[in-house]
Amino acid sequence: MMERRDVIKLGAGASLTLGLPARALAADTRPVDLWVADSRYPFAGAPMAPALRAFSIDGDVTDLWRDLVDPLWRQPGTGLAGLTGRDALFVLEQLAWSRGRRVVERASYAPETTRLPQLVRWRIAPHHPSTKAHP
Amino acid sequence: MSVLPPDLDATRFAEALAEMRQAAGADWVFASDEDLGPYRDSFSPVWDTQRERLASAAVAPADVAQVSAIVRIAGRFGIPLFPISTGKNFGYGGPSPNVHGSVIVDLKRMDKVLEVDEARAFALVEPGVSYFDLYRAIEERGLKLMIDCPDPGWGSPIGNSLERGIGYTMGAFRDHFGASCGMEVVLPDGEVMRTGMGALPGAKTWQEYRYGFGPDPAGLFAQGNFGIVTKMGFRLYPRPDHYRTALVTVPRRRDFVKLVEQCNILSDAMLCGEPVYASPLMALMGNPSFAALATKKGGASDAALDAAASEAALPAWQVDLQFFGPEATTRANFAHARERILSAIPTATVIAGEDFPLPATKEQLANVAQPYRSSIRRHGALGVPSLGIWKIVREDGHLGFFPVLARSGEEVFRMQRVMGDALHEFDQLPSYFNAASAPLHWHPHAFQMVFAPPVKRADPAFNAMVDTAMRRAVEVAAEHGWGDYRAAPIYQDAVSETYSFNNHALRRFHETLKDAIDPAGIIAPGRGGIWPQRFRKR
Repeated sequence: MMERRDVIKLGAGASLTLGLPARALAADTRPVDLWVADSRYPFAGAPMAPALRAFSIDGDVTDLWRDLVDPLWRQPGTGLAGLTGRDALFVLEQLAWSRGRRVVERASYAPETTRLPQLVRWRIAPHHPSTKAHP
Repeated sequence: MSVLPPDLDATRFAEALAEMRQAAGADWVFASDEDLGPYRDSFSPVWDTQRERLASAAVAPADVAQVSAIVRIAGRFGIPLFPISTGKNFGYGGPSPNVHGSVIVDLKRMDKVLEVDEARAFALVEPGVSYFDLYRAIEERGLKLMIDCPDPGWGSPIGNSLERGIGYTMGAFRDHFGASCGMEVVLPDGEVMRTGMGALPGAKTWQEYRYGFGPDPAGLFAQGNFGIVTKMGFRLYPRPDHYRTALVTVPRRRDFVKLVEQCNILSDAMLCGEPVYASPLMALMGNPSFAALATKKGGASDAALDAAASEAALPAWQVDLQFFGPEATTRANFAHARERILSAIPTATVIAGEDFPLPATKEQLANVAQPYRSSIRRHGALGVPSLGIWKIVREDGHLGFFPVLARSGEEVFRMQRVMGDALHEFDQLPSYFNAASAPLHWHPHAFQMVFAPPVKRADPAFNAMVDTAMRRAVEVAAEHGWGDYRAAPIYQDAVSETYSFNNHALRRFHETLKDAIDPAGIIAPGRGGIWPQRFRKR
């Protein structure tokens, strides 16, 4: 049974300070199995969609992959969504391809700076027939 | 199906794909543009240009019999195949083929760790097994074995070793092809061959005695195109009890020559793991006057560099040392290293680092408790797969040119100067060869230095400049006896061209073999610069 988590509600001040459009941080009502947040971005802490689980990374997806996603993606199903740096999404997308998943939505926001890579909001879903959960 | 294999029309290609679907299963042949996206080189400097080499389709067989069947189908239709293990060869072409229109043979479904023997310290794996998978198999079984993995560790032992990739533990294991033992190969006619003791039915030593009897052809399959490797054995490191680190610094530029000599001895005698060299002066590269000195054409004088180091109160060079073994052995080896280095370079400083029993804790893997600034990436150093290196990759990836040079300080200085001068005009790129650039001691018996220019997908002019710089680097390095160790398909001919002794006798020998074994060029034509007769005519 999916637990609905509270969706983050950010004040307009935070968005304006960061120069992000409001849609970058808007709540998404579509459920997802796992939400990935990137702790390098101070506003990316809580799931923005109803998620069974949430996982925080600091840009390095090693623990996320080894402990959670790799075992899950050996079975059909498991959709991911997140708000992370594009470096983290690059790695997750490559891994998704090799496990029959695809990035089905992506929207890039704040431009890359010397300190942080570009921020991307994304969804990854099963694509290959072998990865689609049986009804 | 917008791309076709060479010499094949759409109707015949559709017939070939139908046969491949019969062989591997309808869900495991990919031909739509969307499905072929993952088989493009994400780091390509020629993305969306005429020079980009795209696949016409991909097929993912589940076992050796299916690989054989696909090779035979390809043979009947004259379709070039390009095998990949996990396709993570980034910086060197990723999963993209040498020949536009090749069909990728994606071996990801062949992902079984077939055997891990703790007492005899080896593993036998299929090509789709990643370093993460092998590490997990060892951990889950509670075996006291250590792997040696590249960084990042998402590639496969078979794919990485066939590219002659490297790792970061002890020398005997860092050379991944060198640490392999025994392989199974599907030849261009679909026949299955085993090398070494694998050729002797009933032998129990396939992963222990690599040679068998007679010539050992295993080397032909590394960076080669003589078959598709479907199984391969690897020697594993019995997990040492203990790990210890130390840092050595030397004050003057020329002290580096003696430092390298001493570290070579420690390394060759198997008393230490990878010596990780760096120059603390690299921290000064943000200072325009030091940057100008370090990149001065013709090279800065030793005196000027020593003066800059002295003014900044920094040593000229440092090396991180690593010791593996029983606790007492690591202590003794560290004491010996200190004595040896101080005897050769009395002005050196030797600082004891951390030491702890293995396996390392998460905190120890983070490498935050050294009493000095360490250059070691601890996951790799301890054979623990990681993806963390991608945090430091910017732009749209990078290319890789890692010229091989002799393990000597003088040779490092020469490469800094020659390559620095040759690439001086490419001032949009970071300075890869300057007076603070350090060598890599990844391969146990040779140094390499780094040229890894970034790629910007949205900036074709920048990528064209990078492409020109790559070709110039390959050419100038070769003029001075330095060759690349591994290259993306779009650079393999240029690199192969530099290995030209006696009118390219080596390449002609490879071509003769290719013509005999695979005249139609079914397996990866062009890989390693080896073209069969069919394609040489073009």
